[in-house]
Amino acid sequence: MPRLTLSGLTKAYGRLTVVDSVDLTLEEGEFVSLLGPSGCGKTTTLRMIAGFVDPTGGSIAVDGTVLSAPGAVVPPERRGMSMIFQSYAIWPNMTVEENVAFGLKLRKLTREETRRRVGEILEVVQLSHLAHRYPAELSGGQQQRVALARAIVVKPAVLLLDEPLSNLDANLREEMRFEIRRLHDEFRITTVYVTHDQAEAMATSDRIAVMNAGRIEQVDAPHLLYTRPRTRFVAGFVGRTNLLEAQVTSGMLRVDGIALGPSTQPDGPVLVSLRPQAMTIHEAQPPLAGPVIEASIAERTYLGESWDYVVQPHGSALRLRAAAAPLEAHEVGRRVWLAIDPRQVAVVQ
Amino acid sequence: MSDAALPAAQVVRPSRLRRLEPVTFLWIVLIAALLVLVAAPILKMVVISFEEQDTGVFTIQNYVTAYGRARYLEALRNSLMLGTLSAAISVVIAVPMAWAVSRTDMPGKGFTWATVLAAFIMPPYLGAIGWILLAGPNSGWINVAWRDLTGATAPLVNVYTFTGMAFVIALHSFPLVFIFVKSALDLISSEMEDAANILGGGTWVTMRRVTLPLVWPSIMGGFILIFLETIALFGTPAIIGIPARINVVTTQLWQFFEDPVRVEVAAAFAIPLLLVTIALIAVQKLLLARKGFVSQTGKGGERRQIKLGPWRWVLFAWCFAVAMLSVGKPLTVLLQASFAKAWGRGFSFDNLTLRNYQFLLFEHDMAPQAVWNTVWFSGASATIAVVLALLVAYIVVRRLMRFADALGFLAMAPFVIPGIVMAIGFYAAYAGPPLSLYGSALLIILAFASRFLPIAYASSQAAIRAVHPEMEEAARILGSGRLHAIRKVTAPLLKTSLLGGWLVVFIVASRELSAAIFLVGPRTRTMSVLLYDLTEQGNFEVVSAFGGILLVITLAIVGIGMKLVGRDFMLRRE
Amino acid sequence: MFLIDRRQMLALAAWSAAATRAWADSPMNPQERELYEAAKREGEITWYTGQYSADASEAAGRAFNERYPGVRCNVVRSTSQVAFQRLSQDFRAGVGQCDVFSSTNGGHYVQLKRQNRLVKFRPVNADGLLPILRRPDPDDYFQSSFLGIYLMGHNTNMVSEAEAPRSWTDILDPKWKDKLAVGHPGYSGAIGLWALQMRTMYGPDYLRRFERNKPQVGRSSIDPVTMMTAGERAVGVAVPSASTLFAASRGNPLKLIYPTEGVIAAMSPSGIPTNAPHPNAAKLFQEFQTGPALSTAVRLLFNESIRPDVPPPEGSRPLDQVTMLAPSLEEAEKGVPEVREQWREIFGV
Repeated sequence: MPRLTLSGLTKAYGRLTVVDSVDLTLEEGEFVSLLGPSGCGKTTTLRMIAGFVDPTGGSIAVDGTVLSAPGAVVPPERRGMSMIFQSYAIWPNMTVEENVAFGLKLRKLTREETRRRVGEILEVVQLSHLAHRYPAELSGGQQQRVALARAIVVKPAVLLLDEPLSNLDANLREEMRFEIRRLHDEFRITTVYVTHDQAEAMATSDRIAVMNAGRIEQVDAPHLLYTRPRTRFVAGFVGRTNLLEAQVTSGMLRVDGIALGPSTQPDGPVLVSLRPQAMTIHEAQPPLAGPVIEASIAERTYLGESWDYVVQPHGSALRLRAAAAPLEAHEVGRRVWLAIDPRQVAVVQ
Repeated sequence: MSDAALPAAQVVRPSRLRRLEPVTFLWIVLIAALLVLVAAPILKMVVISFEEQDTGVFTIQNYVTAYGRARYLEALRNSLMLGTLSAAISVVIAVPMAWAVSRTDMPGKGFTWATVLAAFIMPPYLGAIGWILLAGPNSGWINVAWRDLTGATAPLVNVYTFTGMAFVIALHSFPLVFIFVKSALDLISSEMEDAANILGGGTWVTMRRVTLPLVWPSIMGGFILIFLETIALFGTPAIIGIPARINVVTTQLWQFFEDPVRVEVAAAFAIPLLLVTIALIAVQKLLLARKGFVSQTGKGGERRQIKLGPWRWVLFAWCFAVAMLSVGKPLTVLLQASFAKAWGRGFSFDNLTLRNYQFLLFEHDMAPQAVWNTVWFSGASATIAVVLALLVAYIVVRRLMRFADALGFLAMAPFVIPGIVMAIGFYAAYAGPPLSLYGSALLIILAFASRFLPIAYASSQAAIRAVHPEMEEAARILGSGRLHAIRKVTAPLLKTSLLGGWLVVFIVASRELSAAIFLVGPRTRTMSVLLYDLTEQGNFEVVSAFGGILLVITLAIVGIGMKLVGRDFMLRRE
Repeated sequence: MFLIDRRQMLALAAWSAAATRAWADSPMNPQERELYEAAKREGEITWYTGQYSADASEAAGRAFNERYPGVRCNVVRSTSQVAFQRLSQDFRAGVGQCDVFSSTNGGHYVQLKRQNRLVKFRPVNADGLLPILRRPDPDDYFQSSFLGIYLMGHNTNMVSEAEAPRSWTDILDPKWKDKLAVGHPGYSGAIGLWALQMRTMYGPDYLRRFERNKPQVGRSSIDPVTMMTAGERAVGVAVPSASTLFAASRGNPLKLIYPTEGVIAAMSPSGIPTNAPHPNAAKLFQEFQTGPALSTAVRLLFNESIRPDVPPPEGSRPLDQVTMLAPSLEEAEKGVPEVREQWREIFGV
């Protein structure tokens, strides 16, 4: 039986529907991200799972028990979940230890048991030495760890994270991504993670649900989401891409007359996503089997980790973005050959 | 004039005088003003408490006299107990109201706001008179109704008791706790509560264990402030305390002003109030050390109302009861009395008269003068306080000078000094020679300005913080001097908040009694002092009518304030 | 209390038409006229008074203004002790504000005279006062201006005339517990005199026994009248006859009790402080007070007339039919502060 099931989950404020019949299932121990731009309904979905927001339609069930349905909502405090908030919501009037012990005290654990578990979890998040500090005396990253410890220590049925890293600076954010994943690997808590940052979602999740305008567009493993986006929105939102209008003619996919490879789609116009990484630029014609297009460099920008080229195929008005390693510098105006990896060409809706 | 005409040296090296900006002179003037208004009276008070009358020789005899009697010590003890009890009752009254208004879906929030505002602008001594009419053990309406209903002979409530007095004081002090706690609650993000909810804490557990502890400093601040206000309160203890046989510090201080006037002993007797204040602030610092109380991080952002279900009606009932007790009932009896020929006869048409108002406004020698005095003393002191506060706040916030913080400290000091102590300090410093300001309007205006400087300072400070320095810098880079920039750029931006501060000072000054009673002369009696004098005559009809006039004036000012500054100008956190 | 209804006003008007006018407009004596001319240049006179009630004081002030156009009387009415306190503060601060000082506590004058703080002046009108009031000070530093009669009163609805106490010692009976009301000697000069007289007559134990009946302590001697009117207390102790008669005249169920031992007569003078800012106006005011105009004005509010040529107020017993108890000024100066202190020890306030 799945741990968490959302079926037809809907939330409307008057005529405005912010979450529109969302279906999602999490197996026990699974880590799923809700990814989407702001206003896509991901936070509302999370807050419905937590019980802070009542759904106007559909239901939420944990281990088969319905917790939320219109008009019948189990309050947050009786859901056995825990949550990490955007602001961490660390109580500034309690020490680290008191913060972490809060949930355990409510569960009426013995004093020894509470102390033992608090000690253990602080060990795990490497905060043992700061147990008696107040939050004001901690750095942002340390506060984040307190929030994690406080949420995990109660062994929740479901752990909810609401953009937990959005208040950290870039370096720390990267570090904490791995920390969150590490803790998940250690405790295998079923987790729903809300973020608008695709890198965060990629790094942490088993699966990612991309949301747009209140609907889930696609749920998939991170690399599949990247390489095989199913909708135009997912293709555009997850990573950068070249969205091209293509034609399928007798089983062959063509863009502006350039053959990209065979397709199982029925004949007619389709939309194709071609990642910048799906192309390589060569100064001489490469001896490759796949499609190779003669083109010239129209623009280039150096981004530090890579080059960002705009390439114009000869005899076409197309402008394609292609990525290249730092050492592969090509002058603007230079004639090049563009090799396309057909496995990374995705037809989207 | 061509550029070449300028001597080169002058261009290259700015003269020394360049460093003496006008703002430096201003700073010196401000220091002087604050010394006159704040430091000198307090220092003078401490000094004369060690001086022999007339000779000025050092002595500790004043202290021996001041603490030489059990009755005097008891007055001190009574004051401390009264302050504690009133503050505790205020907290009990106000915290649920603040929580309900700030964080829940309780109905009638506008009504609750109005209650708090009304209780705040109602002078405490008027409330005290109202409660005498309500809860006099034999004749009070409540007791009469109680006897009629139950046939009991014993009174239900008796205002002439220690708890009665504390309760009456609390009913007019609780708005301070409300304002403090509500504004602190407003800063707490809902996520703080959500975090407790999701970990298994229900609404009540969360409120008890998370929300209230988070605003603990505000509760404590409100408690301390009401404690200080109460131990400095003169009107209510004189009106209720004497019949109740309770002597407190203020009524005892008044006795030291009996003939022969013993300011030195009064000063010695007032020193413990100062020490208690210092101790309280130290305790507060100690208790709050290290802990942080506002949410530290994050966008803090969203606040949602907690859904209380049927409990919201319970909370509303609480607010309604407070409204009735603090405003509704006392105001009803006061209004009735003010329009009555004989208030003891209750409501009836043949008992109605406008005679009381007519007497005060057209026949009484002092009443119109007192009304005018009140308006102009309050206006003048509010103006002085706001101008001074604005300049000090500007220097402090922009860190223009070294020791700017010392200025800020001086400006805030009267906040925690009991008003009556300030008054005695003013009396000691300026009443006699060489200035001989006793009984003059100037003395009262200065004392009011000093007493309420912190209110003006806090609002100016907040307002200046809100104006980005770059706004001024933009003016200065275009060639405007700093003072010019303040006048042309900053001040207009601050207009509303300054007006708000001015109005609040005006209102609290217009009802001030404790400081005024020691400083007024025959021609400088304010409405509050005249009202107090009238209560000595026991003529409650005229007293009530005068109270009515005072309330009408205050309401007019509040109305103007709301019109110009916005509905909540009185209740913003200062 | 100046709140007279129309019917009473008409009755009073009938009398005043005949007598008052004549007296109020009585010609000025030469000294008075001379002073009036000098006073007009000073323009005003400030009167600190604790003798007549607020309404009667205001009425007296108005009568003065009418009689001497161009000189304005500022009435500063408070209890006598407070008035004296203000005067003391003035002297202490070296600020002259008060022109004429009127207190019910004769001791104040003995003290002021000894401190050389009074101006020697004898108004011509003083010769027309009641014989006992004609010369309170052989050296003429102060002149009589007030004769207050302090006795007991009862609320006839609460205590019948038969049950009511008859003597000053009756009220010591425990049956009057919680039924009495009284002023405070720290505020009211008359109460000081009364307490002193009781101590002189019945020994120091009187106040202590009186206290056992838990009288309600007000400040002014008028407070108990209010308490009786309200029904808060049944018997007022040492209440002024004027205020009680006035309250009764408005239909309140009050009645005077003339104690068998006699009534307390406060024969109180007024004096001019040496630092009076308007010395001529002050002298003029003394002529006014000792003349018929003052007695005529205050009589309407049930105060005793201090001149034989102005009749006593309605409803009061003629002075030749009552025993008057009064401590001498010297006794008062020494005794009142003592008894006040004793009172505070006994009553706690």
